[in-house]
Amino acid sequence: MIIIDQLTKKYGEALVLNQLSLNIKPHEIYCLLGANGAGKTTTINLLLGFIKPTSGSAFINGLNVSENSRKTKRFLAYIPENLMLYPTLTAVENLDYFSGIGGKNLSKVQLEDFLNQAGLQKGAFHQRISTFSKGMRQKVGIAIALAKDAKTLLLDEPTSGLDPKASNEFGQLLHLLRDKGVAILMATHDLFRAKEVATQIGIMKQGVLRQQFNAQNISLPELEAAYLETMDFKELEV
Amino acid sequence: MYKYNFVYELKVLVRNGWIQLLSLLLLGLFCFAAFNGSEKVEKRKLDIQAAKTEVRESDHDMLMLLDSVEQGMEVSASRWTIPTSPTAVGNYHPRVADMSPKPLAFIAMGQSDLFTHYVKPTMTGDDFTLNFTEITNPVQQLFGSFDLSFVIVYLLPLIIIAFSYNVLSAERESGSLKLLASQPISLRNWVLQKISLRFFWVALLTIVILTLVMMFFGTNTNLKDWFSILGITIAYMLFWFTMAFLVNLQTGSSSKNAIILLGLWVVFVLLVPSVLNQLGSTLYPMPSRTLMINEMRNLKAQTVKRQDEILDNFLRDHPEYAINDPNQNRKFYHRYVAAQKLVKEELKPIINKFEQQLQKQQAWISQLRWISPAIVTQQSLSTNAGTSTADYENYRGQVIQFAEAWRTHLVPFLYNNQSFTSKDYDHLPVFTYQPLKSNDSSLSWLVLLVISIVLGATSIGLSSKSKSSSTLAT
Repeated sequence: MIIIDQLTKKYGEALVLNQLSLNIKPHEIYCLLGANGAGKTTTINLLLGFIKPTSGSAFINGLNVSENSRKTKRFLAYIPENLMLYPTLTAVENLDYFSGIGGKNLSKVQLEDFLNQAGLQKGAFHQRISTFSKGMRQKVGIAIALAKDAKTLLLDEPTSGLDPKASNEFGQLLHLLRDKGVAILMATHDLFRAKEVATQIGIMKQGVLRQQFNAQNISLPELEAAYLETMDFKELEV
Repeated sequence: MYKYNFVYELKVLVRNGWIQLLSLLLLGLFCFAAFNGSEKVEKRKLDIQAAKTEVRESDHDMLMLLDSVEQGMEVSASRWTIPTSPTAVGNYHPRVADMSPKPLAFIAMGQSDLFTHYVKPTMTGDDFTLNFTEITNPVQQLFGSFDLSFVIVYLLPLIIIAFSYNVLSAERESGSLKLLASQPISLRNWVLQKISLRFFWVALLTIVILTLVMMFFGTNTNLKDWFSILGITIAYMLFWFTMAFLVNLQTGSSSKNAIILLGLWVVFVLLVPSVLNQLGSTLYPMPSRTLMINEMRNLKAQTVKRQDEILDNFLRDHPEYAINDPNQNRKFYHRYVAAQKLVKEELKPIINKFEQQLQKQQAWISQLRWISPAIVTQQSLSTNAGTSTADYENYRGQVIQFAEAWRTHLVPFLYNNQSFTSKDYDHLPVFTYQPLKSNDSSLSWLVLLVISIVLGATSIGLSSKSKSSSTLAT
């Protein structure tokens, strides 16, 4: 479960996140839409504890991120835009390494099972990551989240650069995780994928959450219109 | 986490070819350096052997001549070279005062490229004219000898820098750091473990390769010396890995890390030793050698004029010679040796000043050697090799004592106008070099270990004050 309460981040005088509040429950996928510089990645970095908030707080599984940065990481998994694993290690080895340093000692059968659940072809299990496409690497990322038994998943533009088939497969994997009760926050530019996978959608601009929708109550054209309308919000751009 | 880092770090290194490359590089460097060092030691041994052979042949000729003279035969030799004369024995049949290389001499040339390993003190030669230096290739003087000490002190830190400068920054630059930082681990501990593992692998390789090299080149090495060399080498390596750890935590990009670490290498390996030497010379300048030679010449010129008076004074101080020689037949060498003793006594303050200044310089550098681990390591290795300044000072002192013993043994023959006979041959003084008792270098490597641990702890402290572990990811 992710709770964000009045979260604000300033770099000097620049306000990059302004009093953001969100509540993402288990079985929910929240998609944050917004242009570059809207504050999506900053929000994720704050939830990961990579940066400290100027004010406000964020909670993962009831733990304050600022105060319990390392503890909260036991409950979360993170997949960045470009998931870089160790290229000279195989998929199984990368999964074993990231699970192991996270405190999970898994057998080879378990590791292969997680890769299987993540949709990676069996033939690729023991191939080096250097031979993998971005889509395959993202699947290993999902396997890491599955192996970790993460209660929260943070995704930073995970489908950017994926072909439609890989992007669709990735969306199905998110549904799998959602069904397992994971609370998912995904920052993306991809309106179509957001509409496909999300339960909630928020549109951010200049660090402020402008609009929120229940994904079931909005069609793709309506979402697109709302997004464009938000981006062209003249009053704030002055 | 440690188990996973240990296993997968090795896999990554092996698959990258780093371990193979490093092993080959270290093996190549150590073997070439050991070969180079042992070749030079071998040459010195041969030089000493040649000098001893020359003395044996000269002694054989001397004994033949003595035998002929003692049997009343005519000998076809210049009068002043016939060994019945003590000055002929003292000047034309000197002993070799040699400093045989220790079994580990090949690991560090130390001062051996500057100082000789053997001299032949004569009866009428002056101690200060004993030539303890050798003419060496000036290019070698500039760059030093390519021995194990050079590889360990100069090149090993560069290999360590290449191996550890980008432990954290490479993860940041490749993009894997964020994934890593999203795990419930301390990045600071992760970096420490990574650097420790790399230290472990490089140390293991170094130990294995050094052991192989020692088995091949250092045949008579005892275990204590061997552990001493390993100890100082490992402590020196640890210092450089600690530097890499400190830089990895404090700075950003790989290029910046590399430049900072190379800068530290220049400071600790090149600048500090050079500046300490220069400051030592400035603070404790050596008196002019030209002035000393002028003084010596003046004294000699003065004594030539006063040789009769000096001889009279000498005989007054040594009445036993007057009693033993009722003829009082005094010639050139009687005057010369008496004058030489006076010159030596009068030059003593000037020579002492030289030695005192040299000792002050060395004491100053020795006190400040802890500023640079390179100096500490170099000194320890030279001490183990028996080629340190202290070893050569010890040798020089023993040679001067022997020269005095050689003179003292032959002077009574001269002033008693007593002939040297073949029976006296067996009583001639013999030089036996007594090496310094092996200096224990455990203090050096213990201090280096403590410095490294304190630096490591300080860097963790500084890093945690300026950044939390997670924020290292950004």
